[in-house]
Amino acid sequence: METLKINCHQRSFVLHPSGAAYWEEKGMLLIADVHLGKVTHFRKHGSAIPQASLYQNFEKLQAVVDYFKPKSVCFLGDLFHSSINSEWHLFKDWIEQLQSEVVLISGNHDIISKSMFDGINVTVKEEWLIDDFLLTHYPESRDGLFNLSGHIHPGVRLKGFGKQFLKVSCFFRREQQLIFPAFGNFTGKFIVEPNSKDRIYVNTRDEVIEISAKLIALK
Amino acid sequence: MMNRKELENLAQQWFEQQAWKPFPFQKHTWTAFLQGKNGLLNAPTGSGKTYALWIPIVLEHIKRTPDYKTKKPKGLMAIWVTPLRALSVEIKQATERFVEELGVPLTVGIRSGDTSQKERAAQKRAMPNLLITTPESLQLLLASKAYDKLFHKLIAVVVDEWHELVGNKRGVQMTLALSRMRSISPQLRVWGISATIGNLDQAREILLGTDKAFVANSVLIKAKINKQIEVKSVIPKTIEKFPWRGHLGLHLLDDIIPILRKSKTTLIFTNTRSQCEMWFQKILERYPEFAGDIAMHHGSISRETRLWVETAIRDENLKVVVCTSSLDLGVDFAPVETIIQIGGPKGVSRFIQRAGRSGHQPGKTSVIHFLPTHAIELIEASALRKAVKNRVVEDRVPHLNSFDVLVQYLVTLAVSDGFYPEEIFPEIKSTFCFQTITREQFQWVLNFITLGGQSLQAYDEYKRVEIEPDGKFKVNSRSVAMRHRLQIGTIVSDAVLSVKFLKGGYIGSIEESFISKLKPGDVFTFAGKQLELFRIRNMQVLVKKSKQKTSKIPSWMGGRMSFSSEMSDLLRQELYLANADDAKKSKELKALEPIFKRQKLESIIPNADQLLIETFKTREGYHAVIYPFEGRFVHEAMGSLIAYRASLLKPITFTISFNDYGFELLSDQPIDMQGILDNNLFSTDYLRSDLEKSLNATEMAKRQFRDIAVISGLVFTGFPSKLVKSKHLQSSSQLLFGVFEDFEPDNLLYQQAFRETFEHQLQEGRLQLAMERINTQTIIWKACQKPTPFSFPIITDRLRAKLSSEKLADRIKRMTIQLEKS
Repeated sequence: METLKINCHQRSFVLHPSGAAYWEEKGMLLIADVHLGKVTHFRKHGSAIPQASLYQNFEKLQAVVDYFKPKSVCFLGDLFHSSINSEWHLFKDWIEQLQSEVVLISGNHDIISKSMFDGINVTVKEEWLIDDFLLTHYPESRDGLFNLSGHIHPGVRLKGFGKQFLKVSCFFRREQQLIFPAFGNFTGKFIVEPNSKDRIYVNTRDEVIEISAKLIALK
Repeated sequence: MMNRKELENLAQQWFEQQAWKPFPFQKHTWTAFLQGKNGLLNAPTGSGKTYALWIPIVLEHIKRTPDYKTKKPKGLMAIWVTPLRALSVEIKQATERFVEELGVPLTVGIRSGDTSQKERAAQKRAMPNLLITTPESLQLLLASKAYDKLFHKLIAVVVDEWHELVGNKRGVQMTLALSRMRSISPQLRVWGISATIGNLDQAREILLGTDKAFVANSVLIKAKINKQIEVKSVIPKTIEKFPWRGHLGLHLLDDIIPILRKSKTTLIFTNTRSQCEMWFQKILERYPEFAGDIAMHHGSISRETRLWVETAIRDENLKVVVCTSSLDLGVDFAPVETIIQIGGPKGVSRFIQRAGRSGHQPGKTSVIHFLPTHAIELIEASALRKAVKNRVVEDRVPHLNSFDVLVQYLVTLAVSDGFYPEEIFPEIKSTFCFQTITREQFQWVLNFITLGGQSLQAYDEYKRVEIEPDGKFKVNSRSVAMRHRLQIGTIVSDAVLSVKFLKGGYIGSIEESFISKLKPGDVFTFAGKQLELFRIRNMQVLVKKSKQKTSKIPSWMGGRMSFSSEMSDLLRQELYLANADDAKKSKELKALEPIFKRQKLESIIPNADQLLIETFKTREGYHAVIYPFEGRFVHEAMGSLIAYRASLLKPITFTISFNDYGFELLSDQPIDMQGILDNNLFSTDYLRSDLEKSLNATEMAKRQFRDIAVISGLVFTGFPSKLVKSKHLQSSSQLLFGVFEDFEPDNLLYQQAFRETFEHQLQEGRLQLAMERINTQTIIWKACQKPTPFSFPIITDRLRAKLSSEKLADRIKRMTIQLEKS
């Protein structure tokens, strides 16, 4: 497992192949777009997605928590895919054994009421301003602030010799912004088209690799 | 009660009143039907097949009803199933004409996707006696409460254009419905009508099922209408030595103008909808005098426009219609004198069928002009001429154990009145498709629709079909039922959006994948119009007219077809003749001489006992092109098989492309062709297991899974007006495929994707035979400096697959290194 340490706005972030990142100065683990409950939501409506697949998200969450042992965990929105269902209980069990403080920045999919989260000691915020960092679900730009966000599930299309193309999910870094890849296992990706100032860190199974903009295929 | 002779005389007299004479096949069909037989009628479009079967159905009613002239019967008596709703109006008119003139007060109605809600409701209260419908609308009837009361007086079901259904899942769906209707109405007679296909006898078995007595009481009637077909090819005046693909044939546009001018009405068949749009636009651009005399017809254009075009053809108001397979079927267009086929039709039956759209009057010769889109297609033209002469036609391979269709069908029954497995299982097993289904497999499907898996699990909220205390399988959730009704059917397409003018007015429907690439203000060509995208809202694409000349043309998926094995064989035979004496060559082959000459400069034209392999390097990388001449599908499989085997020799990534002539392996690293030959990678040993592994590594099975996921209801494709409600249920079948791969690889639907890839994409056995043939050939490997003419259409094709044995991280790093070096 190889992580990649980067510097944003004079702070250190360790990017993890799972799509999570660790803010060293704060001891904070940041995770976007887990979409818990998606499998169960589908099953509830008659679509027989293998139930076993839903445990994978929790295994992934646990693995990344074990790796960084963070003081706090911040979800950058779309923690749950839809209305409440039985996966909530799994999440509750997971939260209860967790040693860290948990914050959720509310996303467009987060329709579960705040009081439910209050009940399990998860703080829900619309946005979060820490030092001059702005944590949101939707990517935003505000003067002087560095934005950490999710929502778009970024990925890039790489182009190599021999007409080779690859689609990989990535951290998408713009001048004042770091957009996180989707963490959830049953989520798609949106192909972004970076400009020359942007930086792209792609996730493979066990590595995070910064790639040259020249490698990226544009439409 | 009238006897059979008297009944047939009634029909005979009616024919005479019209100054017609019944064909022998029509009389045979009347007799067989009145004798209580089932059957398959082999007759082409426009031959009078409608009267061959509607008449005896009405006669049967007359026989059963002494006061038939006055008594108005209630309820459904017969169902006529047509795969294309556009055909139903014509069938209805013909039927009404007969019953009215005979003075039988029977009602005739249509029920299809185009039938209004109001009319459906009225039909529900009082069904027409004779109903014309589509396979999908018939399923919807099975999804409605108390459907058994609709069907219990049925005399007959006729499935028209059966050849269009027999080789796909609509056919499976149709036979499941028949199995249910036969139980409800044991006296039911089942008839099919089919154009000529290679396996007519099997087509009859598939329609009638496995009940021996039922099949024994059936006939196969052939209308012996021999049509003369003349194939003419448009030979380019200059032959380019490097035949790029993708020309769309437009460089020959001027050559067809004299043909258009000379003929009363011409249909121009293209293989894809984008090609159709392009041709339409270019003809008008260069020959504006055709304005008003030319129209376009393809599946995405609004129904009103299509109907208008069809009527205009019949009324001789159009001189030229550019169309796709949307006009392959159906209505008889008497004024059509000439057919032009742009590009290879990929199959003999399709070509013959298209040719048959012209020269409908008895004794007239059908004329079809073949226009090649690249020079090498001229070989196809001369191969096709031989095929037409020798009446070579393809088989339609039936689907077996299509569990996705079964899942859908069982949920359909559960949505209406519910079902008892013990009652339904024998019916299902009696269909051709499911004759080998085991108890275990059936139980698997039952578990799938009730538990969403094979056992009850903790925290589960799966809800679809419930088992009631008495053992009845039933859908009780209204939202499950509603979603299911919206999704009945087995034709799967991309999400489509309707295209409308800002001021109102529906133009047609377009795939989301195309529209999503456009920004507001972009101009695109659709339905022959230049349209500017204004915005997309609520699954609607709002557009304005544009005067801009340049524009994007949508490319539609699904336009890719493959050579049938018959066609591939003919093509090879034709190609081998290129090495023969001039006397044996057709004029097409002679015209290709400059290309053959260039090909022979660095390479060869293979003979029957040779397999040609060419390798060369270009700016793009290292190419290996192999020419088995077996058709696109076999090449796709063989390409991934050889790529897979080669990737075991060392970590390497291949891009594979293929067309009907051969396939190309392209890599960023040198390809060790000597190693491939030394290791005997064309061996037929472990063929199936290697192929399976290579399918895992490429996209083929994944693509196939898409349809299965939609048909079985794993993926909800949504419905325009209900979009918001289903938003959280949208998912891609690609994602799902990955989930099954990781968590439920023994799922029957997941496995079906692989089986279908074998049986239908590859037409199981064809690859094996092709590999066996290759093993009898001598491999001729030519290391060339430059791409050869034969390789050009392949290496410039845009449809590609990939296969890699490298770790993702390694690939990305190597891509980076290569980039920095360049």
